[in-house]
Amino acid sequence: MAAAVAEVESSLELSLPGGGVPGFLPPARSRIFKIIVIGDSNVGKTCLTYRFCAGRFPERTEATIGVDFRERAVDIDGERIKIQLWDTAGQERFRKSMVQHYYRNVHAVVFVYDMTNLASFHSLPLWIEECKQHLLANDIPRILVGNKCDLRSAIQVPTDVAQKFADTHSMPLFETSAKNPNDNDHVEAIFMTLAHKLKSHKPLMLSQPPDNTVHLEPAAKPAITCWC
Amino acid sequence: MALRRPAPDGNGRRDCDPKKKRKEAEIFQALSSDPVDVAALRRMAISEGGLLVDEIRRRVWPKLLNVNTEDLPPPPGEDLRENNKDYQQVLLDVRRSLRRFPPGMPDEQREGLQEELIDSILQVLQRNPQLHYYQGYHDIVVTFLLVVGERLATALVEKLSTHHLRDFMDPTMDNTKHILNYLMPIIDQVNPELHDFMQRAEVGTIFALSWLITWFGHVLSDFRHVVRLYDFFLACHPLMPIYFAAVIVLHRAEEVLACECDMASVHHLLSQIPQDLPYETLISRAGDLFVQFPPSELAREAAQQQAERTAASTFKDFELASAQQRPDTVLRQRFRDRLRAEERAKSLLVTKPRTNRFVKLAVMGLTVALGAAALAVVKSALEWAPKFELQIFP
Repeated sequence: MAAAVAEVESSLELSLPGGGVPGFLPPARSRIFKIIVIGDSNVGKTCLTYRFCAGRFPERTEATIGVDFRERAVDIDGERIKIQLWDTAGQERFRKSMVQHYYRNVHAVVFVYDMTNLASFHSLPLWIEECKQHLLANDIPRILVGNKCDLRSAIQVPTDVAQKFADTHSMPLFETSAKNPNDNDHVEAIFMTLAHKLKSHKPLMLSQPPDNTVHLEPAAKPAITCWC
Repeated sequence: MALRRPAPDGNGRRDCDPKKKRKEAEIFQALSSDPVDVAALRRMAISEGGLLVDEIRRRVWPKLLNVNTEDLPPPPGEDLRENNKDYQQVLLDVRRSLRRFPPGMPDEQREGLQEELIDSILQVLQRNPQLHYYQGYHDIVVTFLLVVGERLATALVEKLSTHHLRDFMDPTMDNTKHILNYLMPIIDQVNPELHDFMQRAEVGTIFALSWLITWFGHVLSDFRHVVRLYDFFLACHPLMPIYFAAVIVLHRAEEVLACECDMASVHHLLSQIPQDLPYETLISRAGDLFVQFPPSELAREAAQQQAERTAASTFKDFELASAQQRPDTVLRQRFRDRLRAEERAKSLLVTKPRTNRFVKLAVMGLTVALGAAALAVVKSALEWAPKFELQIFP
C-alpha cells in the first residue's frame, strides 16, 4: 500500500502549484487519463490496478466496496501524464446504482475477466452493454483483459474464443497475470499501450480545472456551443 | 496495519483505572437490575470508552438489540450451502477477508472461523429471504463472530439486518444511496466552506459507502476501534454512522481544503481513513450533531441533495464539453444559497442554547429506545428517493 500512496502523493504535490487560483492559468499541469476498470467479482481488478500503480502484486486484497482509486504518473514521449485508475466493485448491486458516477468523463474502459472462470467471461456482454448506456461517446478506447493466465491448468476460456469475442466488439485482447512474476512487464505494457493510444487520440484532454475558474484551454470536443 | 483483537489479559489491566472500574460496576448494575436497565446500558455504550471489553460486550450487545440469549435460532441444517443464491459471492468475499482476523491467529483457527462466518451469513439470509447480501456485510458479521461467537453472532446479526442494516439489504442500493445523501447536508450545517468545496470537486459520497455499510469495519485496521464504534452504533439511531462519517470529514476539513479541487484528489484523500482518529472526541461530536440536526430535519435537504445532484450530473452527461457549465453552476449556487439562508433561519429557531451532554445523550437514548419509531423516520425520509429517480429515468 505504501508504495501506491507515495506514488499518488508525489504526483499530487507536483500538480498543486497554481491550482485553484481563479483566472490564473496553472503552469504546465500534467494531463490526466481517467480509466475505469470493470468486470465480475474476483476477476482481479484490484490486483491489476495495484500491480500497475505500485509495481507489485498485492499480498492480500479484499472485496472492493464501491470504488477505489489508484493513480500513477508516467512519462510518455517526454510528457508527464497522470493515469488514474478507478477500480470498481464487481457485485452487481454496486454497479447498478453506485458506479455510474464514475463513468463520467472517463477516457478509456478496461473490461476484465478471469480466464479460469467461464462465468466471468460470459458476463462481459452485460458489462459492455451497461458501459454503452453510461458512456455517451462511442469512440472511447476499450480493451479486454483476461487475467490469471498463470493458472494454466485451470483455464476455462480458450484464447481463440476470447479473441473472437474481442474482435466482435472491436477491442484489443490481452491475456495476462497480475501475479506471475515472469509476466512482470505485461500489466505495465497493457496500461502503457492504452496511455499511448489516449495520448495520440486525445490531444486536448486536459485535467479538469475547478468549475468556477476561467477556462483558457480549448474545449475537449467540438460541441453545441451556446454562450447564453 | 494488522488488526488487533483485545488480548485476554486486557481484562486484567482495566482494574488499574478507577474510572473504568466505576463504569464497569455501573454496567453490571444495569445488567442485574430487573428489568435490565437498557437505557443505562445505551448511555454506557455511547459514553467514553464504550463497553470497555469484549466480555461485557457479550452480555450487553444482546440487550441493546433486544435479543433473548436463551432462545437462539437452531444451528443451520445440512442444506445451508446448497441452493443459496448468495453462496458463491459470500464465499469469495469471506475467503479474501484475511485482514479481519487477528494477525497472530493460526491458519487452522482462522479457517475454522471463516467457515463459521460463511454459515452465519447464509443462515441469516436463508431465514430472511427478503434480505439481500452485499459485499461488506461480511465485515459486519465477522466483528460479531469474533466478539460473541457463531451462535449468538447469528442471532444478533439477524436482528441488526432486519433493523439497522435493513436499508442496505434491499434488492437495490437506492436506499443506501439515499442515506449517503444525508452526508453533505450535515457537513453543510457545520462547515459550509468545506461543503461547497466538496460540491465543486463533485466528489460524490461513494468514498463513505464502505464506512456506512460496514460500520467502518472494512476500513479500520485496529479491532479495538471497530468494536468501540459498534458499541456506539448499536446504542444509537440507524443513521448515526452517517453522522459519524460527516464528523470524520469535518475533522479533516483542513486537509480536504488543501487538496486539489477535483473528484479524484478529494475521493482519494477521504477514502484513505487515518488510523489514529480521536475516536472518543469524534463520537461525542457525532452525538452532538445528531441532537442538533436530527434526521427528520435533514430529510428534506437530503432529498433536495438528490434532486440537485442528479439533475446536475445528468446535465453534465449530456454535455461533455464544459461550455455550458458556467450558467448552470451559477444557478445551482444561487439555489443553494437561498436554501441555506432558509435553513439558517430555521436552525436559529431550533438550536436553543447548547444543552449539556448528559441531556443530549439521554435524548439520544430516548430516540433509540423508540426503536421502531426512529426507523419510521428513516423509512419516511426514504420515500423521497424513488420519486426523483422516476423523474430522471421514466
